[in-house]
Amino acid sequence: MRTEDLIKNLAGEAPPVKRLPNPLPRTAIWLALSLPWVGAVVFIMGLRPDLAAQASHTRWLVEQSAALATALMAAMAAFCAGVPGRPRWEHFLPLLPLAVWIGALGQGCIATWLSYGPGGLSLTPDWQCLPGIMMVGLGPAVAMTIMILRGSPIAPTTTVALGALAAGGLAEVGLRLFHQVDASLMVLVWQAGTVVGLTLVASFFGRKILRWRIAAPNTSVMKSK
Amino acid sequence: MAAEDSDAHLSALMKSAQDGDNAAYAALLRLLVPVITRIVSRQCRSGLEVDDVVQDVLLSLHSVRHTYDPSRPFMPWLASIARHRATDAQRRRGRVTRSESAVPELPETFSGDDSNKNLDGPGDAELLKRAIADLPPGQRQAVELLKLKELSLKEAASASGMTVAALKVAVHRGLKTLRERLASGSGDGNA
Repeated sequence: MRTEDLIKNLAGEAPPVKRLPNPLPRTAIWLALSLPWVGAVVFIMGLRPDLAAQASHTRWLVEQSAALATALMAAMAAFCAGVPGRPRWEHFLPLLPLAVWIGALGQGCIATWLSYGPGGLSLTPDWQCLPGIMMVGLGPAVAMTIMILRGSPIAPTTTVALGALAAGGLAEVGLRLFHQVDASLMVLVWQAGTVVGLTLVASFFGRKILRWRIAAPNTSVMKSK
Repeated sequence: MAAEDSDAHLSALMKSAQDGDNAAYAALLRLLVPVITRIVSRQCRSGLEVDDVVQDVLLSLHSVRHTYDPSRPFMPWLASIARHRATDAQRRRGRVTRSESAVPELPETFSGDDSNKNLDGPGDAELLKRAIADLPPGQRQAVELLKLKELSLKEAASASGMTVAALKVAVHRGLKTLRERLASGSGDGNA
């Protein structure tokens, strides 16, 4: 097909389109869609009985706030990554809160080691973290997938990885509202580790999930001209 | 036209296109073709069909035109799509060329000598000439008239005085004899 014919063809079948909203309102929409799911799972699982006591601990609050900020920044970065021509630095938005989150957990590990010695850093299997995070993160992940599919597959691996980090981060926040594991090393390995692991796994499927969906030109439009 | 004005003009056209103005969209795409061609040509190595990639970029642009935000510059949006699709085209091309290799002539089907004899070639003309000359007279005449002079059976029959049936038999036997003698590599009439 000649390029001029293709142009006539495309222009002939170009109905009005609904513009993609900016990343910030999209992040708000994603959060609004995800929170009811997270709330429902937390409600079903039951709030942990020591939640009020935990909420008075600065370290717990910092970790939860940093995890939430990581989720929100990752969501915003994922929506930015789906828009062609936006600056590359936006992809790194979640790095700072992620560093604060991992740093807070690491600082907790060091504080425990200083207080109790190496024996205080016991790592035992916690097989509830992975299914727990997956269960809480399912709703946010589905909402994120639907929303990033509206964008363009300009950076599919990055977009999907950031989307998974957003869903995983929000799931981690919800998980700690009903799952009573607060030892820094346990949280670092089994919870943050699960979130990072799921992010890496999801990134491998980036090009499968986000592809160019190009419809074949309707040649009848061209012929009728 | 200054770059800013040009970008603003393209942005305005795309905004109209997003709102359903097909004429503005066609005008925009026509303006973009040389721009996309420049971007693609800069990025693509030789061997890639630039026109194909340009059309691919136009189709991609069409499929994600809702992602353009008129409050932002147009050219970075376009260049990002064009570069990305050119990279995809190069990747596809790389996959194809990795599984292909250019050869100066068709490769042998098998490595053995027998399987690579050029059976359709002229062969040894002298050997063939001697083998025909050594045929019995009836067979030789039939082969000469029907195969070398390429006469029809009717013409050959009138020229030789033989019947059509006799010519058919004679040419069949003559070819069989030639085949056997050439296969044995001799044209001395000893077969």
